Amino acid sequence: MREAQQITATRYSELDQIDRDNVSHLRLVFSFRSGQRGAQGAAPLVVGSRLYLLTSFPHTLFALDLTSPQPKVSWQFTPQSDPIAAGLACCDRTAHGPVFDKGRLYFSTLDGHVIAVDSDTGRMLWDVAVANPHQGETLTSPPTVSGGRLVIGNAGDNFGTRGWVVALDAATGRELWRHYTTGPDRDVGITQGFAPFEASDRGPDLGSRSWPAGAWQHGGGSVSGPSLYDSELELLLHNTGPPAPWNPEQRAGANRWTSGVFARDPQTGAARWFTPLHPHNVYSWVNGTANIAVDRPWSGVNRKLLLHADADGLLYVLDRGSGEILAADPLLSPEDARQASQDDPSQTPRSGVQVRDICPAWVGAIGGDPALAASTGILFVPITRLCMDIEARPASYIEGTPFMGANVRVHAEPGKERGGLVGWDLGRRKAAWRIDERFPVASDALATAGELVFYGTLDGVIKAVDAGTGKLLWQWRTATGIMGQPTTYRGPDGRQYVAVVAGATGPYGLASQYWIDRRDATAALGLAQSIADLPAPTDPSGTLYVFGLP
Amino acid sequence: MALSTPIAVRLVLLAPLVLCGCAGASAGWQSALQPHGTQAMALNRLIWILIGVGAIVWVAVMLVLAGALARRSRSARAGHTVDTNTERRMGRAVGSAVLATALIILGLTLTSFLLTRGLSASDARALEIEIRGHQWWWEITYLSSQADQVFTTANEIHVPVGRTIHLQLAAADVIHSFWVPNLAGKQDLIPGRDNSLTFAAQRPGVYRGQCAEFCGLQRAHMALLVIVDPPEAFEHWRRAQLTPAANPTDPQQAEGRKVFTSKPCAACHTVQGTSAAATIGPDLTHVASRRYIAAGLLQTTRGSLAAWIADPQTLKPGNNMPDVPLTATELQAVSAYLAALK
Amino acid sequence: MKPGRTSLLLLALTLCACQREERQFRLDPPISASLQAVASMPDGISGAPPDTYRVLGKPYASNAYNLSQGKQLYTWFNCNGCHANGGGETGPAFLDGWWRYGPDIISIFVSIRDGRPRGMPAFRDRLTTEQIWQLAGYVQTIGAYSAKTAAPARDDAMQSRPAENRAPAKSSFASDQWPYPPQ
Repeated sequence: MREAQQITATRYSELDQIDRDNVSHLRLVFSFRSGQRGAQGAAPLVVGSRLYLLTSFPHTLFALDLTSPQPKVSWQFTPQSDPIAAGLACCDRTAHGPVFDKGRLYFSTLDGHVIAVDSDTGRMLWDVAVANPHQGETLTSPPTVSGGRLVIGNAGDNFGTRGWVVALDAATGRELWRHYTTGPDRDVGITQGFAPFEASDRGPDLGSRSWPAGAWQHGGGSVSGPSLYDSELELLLHNTGPPAPWNPEQRAGANRWTSGVFARDPQTGAARWFTPLHPHNVYSWVNGTANIAVDRPWSGVNRKLLLHADADGLLYVLDRGSGEILAADPLLSPEDARQASQDDPSQTPRSGVQVRDICPAWVGAIGGDPALAASTGILFVPITRLCMDIEARPASYIEGTPFMGANVRVHAEPGKERGGLVGWDLGRRKAAWRIDERFPVASDALATAGELVFYGTLDGVIKAVDAGTGKLLWQWRTATGIMGQPTTYRGPDGRQYVAVVAGATGPYGLASQYWIDRRDATAALGLAQSIADLPAPTDPSGTLYVFGLP
Repeated sequence: MALSTPIAVRLVLLAPLVLCGCAGASAGWQSALQPHGTQAMALNRLIWILIGVGAIVWVAVMLVLAGALARRSRSARAGHTVDTNTERRMGRAVGSAVLATALIILGLTLTSFLLTRGLSASDARALEIEIRGHQWWWEITYLSSQADQVFTTANEIHVPVGRTIHLQLAAADVIHSFWVPNLAGKQDLIPGRDNSLTFAAQRPGVYRGQCAEFCGLQRAHMALLVIVDPPEAFEHWRRAQLTPAANPTDPQQAEGRKVFTSKPCAACHTVQGTSAAATIGPDLTHVASRRYIAAGLLQTTRGSLAAWIADPQTLKPGNNMPDVPLTATELQAVSAYLAALK
Repeated sequence: MKPGRTSLLLLALTLCACQREERQFRLDPPISASLQAVASMPDGISGAPPDTYRVLGKPYASNAYNLSQGKQLYTWFNCNGCHANGGGETGPAFLDGWWRYGPDIISIFVSIRDGRPRGMPAFRDRLTTEQIWQLAGYVQTIGAYSAKTAAPARDDAMQSRPAENRAPAKSSFASDQWPYPPQ
């Protein structure tokens, strides 16, 4: 269980049975075809001798018994779902869990429910609706468990929702607190104890005063990615998404508290600090990537750090206690790191004017969640290299419909590969190695103590590379694109296995669907043409693949 | 008219045509000849200088023409002889006329330059207003360095007297043109292009403007009002515009708000403080505080609001407000609600 | 004939051609009420339009003004947020001529008016019936199998796909490879 939690937090596993020398012998042990088109991005969870697998929406939770050589389904659970949510999942990486705590499994659903089931029998314990899909709200991240509480935030920037984060009692599902990311201080949870690092963030009701009249009510700032619980400092850390609508002319001002990082008290949700990353974000750079907490020496002093790989292609290193930005280094090489600046009026989206070659595109430079090998201090970050042409248009808020106000086309930078993996040395503050990939890398990275990094590509190849040099050591082609989290576990027989669920999810998953016509450059928010050469999957069903040594 | 009719008779017959124009110009609130803004005053001066100089030149040319016509009949009978003295005199006359023309044109150009070079000067303390032209109404956004002082209204601008106003002009669909003759000249609103216009009103009052570039079927009904207030009155108006919409004070208005938010009204219009937040049509948060609705078409009363909602296509054919089917009770309720949104 | 009379005749013929199509901005109330009376099948797929629709000459699919209004409504009511410019996003594409509920204009009308289960919102309370017809006519034009004579206005926004009046869906059916997996 500690393994599972650690992997969730840092995507690093202590298991080292599979290492650089024997990984080339890795072979498929079994596969499990869920029969459901696509997949969700969270890793399958292994607790004891069971593997828990949650499918894409509409969800089914499978419990596979790993003791038999060809694992069989011990139980499966399908909650009731509201099909309207299928039309709302556009832009955020969808991952729903499950997470395990004290004999129970907790997971979120796309249509806004958090559900608790018994891990032995699959019996539902409680089912609480926290988000309203009829208003455009969905859930796209797994709940974070801490101290008997579940914390989760909503998604739905593109539908003009207001971002919020909610805490539920793990035993009963009762709502303990809910705080928003825009609006007056009492909605946001800003009290006397709020101490942001920058003085400009101190002041009453900045969450409404940095917007034109009423614009904060549909201001976005969603908490679409997972929250991070810091048990040492008793802090809950979460990102806030970009402001709504995309058209910046309709939301003058700094648009607090969007496009930043919040630290809250886990018991009451009161805000401790906020660090803005992109005030008045004009490019709608998403902010759903998971953060990593690590204690390391920084400039000679041991500090509690928060690593935030941001959509603008920079790795932000923050002090977890105060929110101070200690560093913001570009992950991409200098030739690649063209970054659009919103201080430049010729690069600011305006109504009726096309602004070209904004890099990175709205989908951001970070493809999946990074993994940290704390002992060596190397951070493995999946990246994308895409640029966009954007034209702002006036946007109308109509409940349940998109609230965007932009036409956008996404394309690759000429002559450059669209994706890659970066091995970033935290101590030296530069890349130890970089790998280029033909397609954007949408899967998360997994680092192991066997000096390996696992990740998957959009055309369905799972790869293992050497953590020190980036050299490819093993790969295997699956039937469909890999856009989720690979994981590794010790099976009931004591041997190490690597598991990954292949299947389309998230914005690249959407862009590769059969109902998209790629002749329209704006299809799938511009992404469809950027991956037009992605081959159709052999089998679009979400399928679990488990690999092991012979 | 036959060529034989005397000139004087022709002039008398043409006079009414000219004077008609003057009658229109004396309407007061939409007149370039009654300037109340510094830019309009400069243009007005230029207009009168050009008219004056032009009139003098015209009279002089007419006199010379009259003289030439009178003399022509005499000399035709006398036969054509070349007299060097006359030739020289005539040469000098023509030469001086050409020189005078050149000097007058130069003088007029210089005058025009001197009078209009300061027209677009703006200063840092100017009030910034963004005007976006739609078919066929004006979307007006008051800008500010403080985000929460930014608000949107439609078809009616209030400005403080004496202060420089800097208009940022944009268009949502086709080319429009902003023209408030009492205050300034014309400036086009072109989609995809940033234009601007500066003016400073010198006298409080109500001035009417209209769209001065053909923009479609209802261009003639695309008027706007510029109301110039003393500074305290302007500040009072501005603060009122920042507040959310007035709450209903009686059951009929409450019913009207319910009708408004549940029918297609809320899908096109914004009323701050309710769930209606669409930007396709004009912002109605303070619609009853404006003197006219439908871009200068009807004076704002409960009756005209009801008439507009009931049948916009008859009042302004081709405009983008659809015929929303409402029952009589719903119409009464929604017009009561809107008439109370001051 | 003398040249004078020939030119007069030609002038008369030219002037006759100047009669443009009538634009009716305000439908008579009984007609606009009857346009709501769409008889759709129980599952909302296909059905019969009201008689007045035929009598009016099927205006919403064949009249350039209505198609242009439909195009304007398409962006105003956020259709391009889920369907892009016909290429699809969370909603299906129209450009490819593959219609989940059939290509019939009635199906499109019912989809817009009543919504559909997997995320299409209902616009019954947000648009008037005539506006829904205009939108349905325009949406059908995006995925038309053959080019129509009437065409909506040109793109004033970012041009991202073949124009509607070039019948982009035609090419999807020209090739012998059916591009979509069986449903």
